[in-house]
Amino acid sequence: MMSSQAVTREPRPGASFEERSVWIQLVGVALALGAYFVVAGWMLASGITILPAFAGVFVVAVVLLVAILVGGHLVAALVGRPEPADVRDHEIEWRAESRTGWILATGVIGAIGALVVAVEPVWVAHLLLLSLYLSELARLGLQLVYYRRGI
Amino acid sequence: MEPARGSVKNRIRQLRFERGEMTQQELAERIGVSRQTVNAIEGGKYAPSLEVAFRIALVFAVPLEAVFQFDPDAR
Repeated sequence: MMSSQAVTREPRPGASFEERSVWIQLVGVALALGAYFVVAGWMLASGITILPAFAGVFVVAVVLLVAILVGGHLVAALVGRPEPADVRDHEIEWRAESRTGWILATGVIGAIGALVVAVEPVWVAHLLLLSLYLSELARLGLQLVYYRRGI
Repeated sequence: MEPARGSVKNRIRQLRFERGEMTQQELAERIGVSRQTVNAIEGGKYAPSLEVAFRIALVFAVPLEAVFQFDPDAR
């Protein structure tokens, strides 16, 4: 048997297509929904509390998100060969989801509580959206930690 | 309850070497995962599922314990 010192070490491979995809999702969500919250926060501070008034801004944010996701994945596919997610990718996603799901759950419970005390719908809607935003950022961030640090 | 200790060690790099410098990419293709996953397993950053572990052993035509060993004292 050869000694372990004789065994050549392969260079660490670059990020997989799935890991790049997580980066793209993180950037997309952070930028598009982050921009929405900046504008929505400004509108709320200005006293606008009619929910339909936010629809246009939200549609623009969703279009921006889709554009970042499509463009990002096209670039990622050109840089490296796309590969389907494997067992490790699924496990990383599942672990990150199971550790961050409480953020969205807290937002949902908070929204129900807000409805009970008759808070305006615009605040309830934004509480739900904010908890979804934070939950997604946490999940995607944790996935990247798992990709780098290992699980 | 005491926190669980121990970690899974492996001899994949050695076994690849003994099989004519089999590349991580080649092993990855034969067991149906990405090269990054093979790299993570080899580096001890990911403990594979039992199914993937058996597939690796099958590629090298050795028993499972010749590829993976559990070190109960490792943190």
